[in-house]
Amino acid sequence: MRFVRVPGEWLRVTRLSSRKAYQTLLVGVVAVRVEQTISFKLNGQPVSVSCPPAYTLLEVLRDQLHVTGPKEDCAKGECGACTVIMNGVPVCSCLVLISQADGSEVVTSEGLVKDGKLNPVQEAFLEEGAVQCGHCIPGMIVSATALLMRNSNPSTDEIRTALSGNLCRCTGYTKIIAAVQRAANNWSHQKP
Amino acid sequence: MRYEIEVITPRILAEALNILAKNEPGTRIVAGGSDVIVQLRDGVLRAKKLLNILPLKELRFIRSDRDTVHIGSLATYSDIVHSPITQDHAWPLVEAAKQIGAVQLQNTATLGGNLGNASPAGDSIPSLYALDATVSTRSRDGTRKIPIEQFFQSYRKIDLKPDELIEEVYFKGLGNRDRGCYVKLGLRDANAISIVDVAVVLRDEREDKSFKEARVALGAVAPTIRRSRRCEETLESIPLTPDLLKKAANLVADDVSPIDDIRGSAEYRKEVVVSITYEALYRAVYAEEEHRG
Repeated sequence: MRFVRVPGEWLRVTRLSSRKAYQTLLVGVVAVRVEQTISFKLNGQPVSVSCPPAYTLLEVLRDQLHVTGPKEDCAKGECGACTVIMNGVPVCSCLVLISQADGSEVVTSEGLVKDGKLNPVQEAFLEEGAVQCGHCIPGMIVSATALLMRNSNPSTDEIRTALSGNLCRCTGYTKIIAAVQRAANNWSHQKP
Repeated sequence: MRYEIEVITPRILAEALNILAKNEPGTRIVAGGSDVIVQLRDGVLRAKKLLNILPLKELRFIRSDRDTVHIGSLATYSDIVHSPITQDHAWPLVEAAKQIGAVQLQNTATLGGNLGNASPAGDSIPSLYALDATVSTRSRDGTRKIPIEQFFQSYRKIDLKPDELIEEVYFKGLGNRDRGCYVKLGLRDANAISIVDVAVVLRDEREDKSFKEARVALGAVAPTIRRSRRCEETLESIPLTPDLLKKAANLVADDVSPIDDIRGSAEYRKEVVVSITYEALYRAVYAEEEHRG
């Protein structure tokens, strides 16, 4: 671990004044940024990144590694837009500390594309037209892929349960579920 | 600022206990992270150092020892849902685990984390009350075993010293002559915090459909999980009928002290907790064969 002085960063102190108004004082350059080198496998490639260890996996993926498939919406684990596959299971990357990803294997929607070829779930979403604005789709596709990895013949209920942590606010879910059913039919035990 | 926070990741339990023994102020334990990370971001929780215990394999287990079920504090909800031991001997807890968050959260959130966060709406806790669980904590000085009702002292306050961590939870597993059920009322099926949740366990069934022991635990209706002794006493040592279950369920209303919040009003909770308790009792007694296979 190393400690980096952050130039131009002001530590803010908020206190209650006698008039009961909050005052913010700027008290000088004292902020220290902690950095740690984290290594993990991202979409099959080993990566190593130096970053504050209490940042989330999602922040590092997007802001430092520029992998923008996973999105940040709620930052609470409710919407599923940030879903990635970590060590074989779907997780919310907004709720994983980057230091907890050290040594892990992470797959995002980008990593599901093999040699320029979309995976069956991605294909099926296109074929069914299961997309409107597209914002939730990387998370949906990652969750659906994780489902098919462990159960390549899911029932509609199983699909609904597997996607229950992924919110879509525009298409409705009918086409999305149809797409996962179509993908299941084309699924040939292929790994993401 | 989160970039100022150090994260220490011990590789073995002893190392974690040594760090905790230093008693440094501002050190917080983080397991799955699903509560701690949100609280850090919201500024509810402040920490200088996080002790990331997630990689401690010693704390991630589910095993049975004769008729006792032991669940390590780092067992995830997915572990609980998929373990044959919990499926066969702790099905109300499995039901709760299935309804916590959604798949993504179940894969990271841990049982110990739910206890440590000590929310009155912590969904694993009513089942553990109903199963009469004991919490085992560990420090460098040894272990302490605390009955779960004493572990939760008051609103978000638990009996855990700064140099301790939660090691495991254990309880007598349910058998052929025991019944149990967990029912949750949320605003939707997934990723919903409970408005009310109820776990019931009835043990030692006799031929006349009476039970020796009843435990009814109510969640999200008081500063901590609550048991309703009067409801329990009504159910013990008497042949159960649907009417009797209704009568017993009505008694829980007096044992709760809910608040108004964004999920529901106190008044509504007081009403609905009776219906949810009745549903849990009815399903435990008449409709839970599905769980017992």
